[in-house]
Amino acid sequence: MTKAGDWPSYQRVLLPPVRDLHRLDVYRAEGGYEALGHVLTGTSPAEVIDKLKRSGLRGRGGAGFPTGLKWSFMPPPKPGVPRYLCCNADESEPGTFKDRQLMEYNPHLIFEGILIACYAMQLTAGYLYVRGEFADWIELMEHELARAYEANLVGDNILGTGFSADIFMHKGAGAYICGEETSLMESLEGKRAYPRIKPPFPAQQGIWGYPTTINNVETLACAPLIMTRGAEWFAQTGARTHPGPVLYGISGHINRPGVYEYPTGMLITDLLEIAGGMRGGKRLKALVPGGASVPVLRADMIEGVTMDADSLREAGSMMGTAGMLFLDEDTDMVAFLRRVARFYHHESCGQCTPCREGTGWMENLITRIDDGQGNLRDLDLLLDLCDQMEGRTVCALADAAAWPVRNTIRRFREDFEKRCKPAVWAA
Amino acid sequence: MADFIRNPVVALPESDPEPHFSAVELVFTDGEKDEIARRIKQYPTADGAVMWVLWLAQEKFGFLPPEVLRLVASALDLPYAQVYGVATFYTQYYKGKKGKFVLDVCTCFTCQFCGGYDMLAYLEEKLDIQRGHTTPCGTFTVQEVECLGACGSAPMLQVSNGSYVHNLTRAKVDAMLEALQQGEQLPFVSLTLPQDEDEMGGNRRTDAEASELYQTPPASRATQ
Ligand SMILES: Cc1cc2nc3c(=O)[nH]c(=O)nc-3n(C[C@H](O)[C@H](O)[C@H](O)COP(=O)(O)O)c2cc1C
Ligand code: SF4
Ligand code: FES
Repeated sequence: MTKAGDWPSYQRVLLPPVRDLHRLDVYRAEGGYEALGHVLTGTSPAEVIDKLKRSGLRGRGGAGFPTGLKWSFMPPPKPGVPRYLCCNADESEPGTFKDRQLMEYNPHLIFEGILIACYAMQLTAGYLYVRGEFADWIELMEHELARAYEANLVGDNILGTGFSADIFMHKGAGAYICGEETSLMESLEGKRAYPRIKPPFPAQQGIWGYPTTINNVETLACAPLIMTRGAEWFAQTGARTHPGPVLYGISGHINRPGVYEYPTGMLITDLLEIAGGMRGGKRLKALVPGGASVPVLRADMIEGVTMDADSLREAGSMMGTAGMLFLDEDTDMVAFLRRVARFYHHESCGQCTPCREGTGWMENLITRIDDGQGNLRDLDLLLDLCDQMEGRTVCALADAAAWPVRNTIRRFREDFEKRCKPAVWAA
Repeated sequence: MADFIRNPVVALPESDPEPHFSAVELVFTDGEKDEIARRIKQYPTADGAVMWVLWLAQEKFGFLPPEVLRLVASALDLPYAQVYGVATFYTQYYKGKKGKFVLDVCTCFTCQFCGGYDMLAYLEEKLDIQRGHTTPCGTFTVQEVECLGACGSAPMLQVSNGSYVHNLTRAKVDAMLEALQQGEQLPFVSLTLPQDEDEMGGNRRTDAEASELYQTPPASRATQ
C-alpha cells in the first residue's frame, strides 16, 4: 500500500512547472524569498530549527539523517569565531542526477535554503560545493547569485534586517570522494580531498577548524518550503517517518527516464509505471533504489515496497539518494557488479589499506569471474573481503563498495555461479 | 631495494622536465589577477582558492605542467608541493597535454547498460584511436569517465569539461564531431522533466532558447 497519499494530484514544489523559474524576477514573482523575509523579521533562530525538527525532514544526500537535529548540534556562537555551512552539490553517486536538475530549474530555492540555514545556525557564510563537471550549471548559478547579491538578498545587511551572510561557490574537479562530508571540507580548504577521522565532527571542527554543518542541495531546498507552507504540511506529505517531497531520479531500461517529483512513500511499482514502464516491454530483473552504494533488489523483492527509509530497510535496501536504476531481464549482473567495483576502485582515495587494496581485489576477482576464469570459491572470497572492509576505514566509501558486492552476489548468486568454472573438488 | 624510488614511474615534483611554456607566456594578465583576487576573498586563507586558480590556469594553458603549477603557487603564495598535490588528486586537472577537444564518455553503470560502451567503441573506431589517447592531429582525446550525473539521458558524454551531449546515438556522435571540427560552440542542452513531457512534446528535445546563456530551462505550462 502506498504511503504517498493522493499522489496523482500532487503539485510539484521543488520543481514547479513555471517557465524561467531560474530567473530572480520570476522566482520573486512566484513568492520566492518571502520565506527568507519572514524568517529574518519575525522568527528566532531557535524557532526555525524547531520548525525543521517538527517537519521531520531527513537529509537527501544519502544517509537520511534528521536535518533539524543536525542543525541543533552546532555549538552556540562565539563572538569573532566564524561558522560555516557547506551545501553538498557534489552529486557523483552513480545513478543520481536530481541535484543538477534542481540547480538548473530552481537555483534561487537553493540560495534561499542556504540563507535560512545560515540564519538558523547563525553562520557567517555558506559554501556551495559543486562538482567540476557541472561547469555549465556553476556558470548559471554564479550568474543568478550575482543577481541575488544586487538585490541585497545575500551579503551584508540582508533586506535591511541587520543579518549578513555570504554565499560562495566552489568548483570541484572530478573526485567522487569529495561528496563525503569531511573530504568535501578538505577540498574546500584547498587540499587533497582525504576524508578526516571523526570525531571531531564537523559541528565542532569543520572547515578551517570552525563549526560547520553540511547538507545536501535538495535538503536545503526543502527549508524555504517548510518555512512558508509549515512544518505540518511537510510532515503530512508522504511517508510519516520519512516525509516530504522528493526528487526521484529514474534511469536505466525505462521508457521515460528522468527526474520525477513526488512525495516519499511512493510504491516502486507506481514509479515504474509513471516512468513509462520497462523499455521494449521487457521484464524487470533488478532495481538499485538509491544510487550505486545501496543494495540491489531483485524484481520479486519490490512488490508492495515504498520509497521511504522504513519500507526499503524491510525490503533489504536503502533510500540513498533516490536515484533509481531499473534493469531489465537481459541484464548481465556480473558485468554490472564488475563496473560498480571498478567505480569504487577508481574513486577510493587510497588512505586506508582495507579500502585501497580491497576495492582493487574486488575488481580483480569480479573481472576474473566475468571473463569466465573465476572459481566458485572466489564468490566466498568476495563475501569475506566485504567483511574485511566494512567498518574498518576512515570514511564510508569502503562500506559503500562492500554493500553492492555482498548483496548482488547473494541475490543473484546463480548468475555468478554459472559464470564460474566448475568446482574441481566436486569430482 | 625498491627500484621505483630510483626510477619513478611518475615524474616527481622536484624533477624539472623540459618546460612547455616560455617565461614570457607564464604570466597572468591583470584581468586574471583580479579574478584570482576575487576568488581569494571567498576564503579565510588563500589556500581555498587553489582549485579555482588551477581551473583558470588550465583554461588558459590547456593543461598543467610543472611550470604552470609553479605559476599558480606563486600567485597564491603557496608551496609548490601543495599545488602539485591538489592538481594530481583530481581527475579533471590535466597533467599532460590533451587534444583540442576532450570527449569524456560516461560508461558508469546506467550508461553502461544504455549503450555507453557502444558509443565509446564507436568513437574509438571512427577516430581510429584507443580510449585514453589523442588523435595524431591533436584534435580529439577520447576518455572513459565515471558517472557525470546525467543518467536520465544515458548514454552521454561531456566535451572538454564543458558541454554535456545527451542521449547519444551514432548519428548524434557524427553530428557532434562535425560541429566541433567546424569550430561551432555546442549549445547548452536542457532536458525537460518527463513530467512535462505531454505539454512539451517529448522529454528528448532540446530547448532552442536554452542554447545561449542558460536562459530557458524549459518548463511546461506558463505560470498557472
Ligand atoms: C563516499 C561518499 C560519497 C558521498 N557523496 C555525496 C554526494 O555526492 N552528495 C551528497 O549530498 N552527499 C554525499 N554523501 C553524503 C555526505 O557525506 C553527507 O552525509 C550529506 O551531504 C549530508 O547531507 P544531508 O544530511 O542533507 O543528506 C557521500 C557520502 C559518502 C560516504
Ligand atoms: S575508506 Fe577509502 S575513500 Fe574513505 S578514507 Fe579510506 S581509503 Fe579513502
Ligand atoms: S551513469 Fe552515465 S551519467 Fe550517470
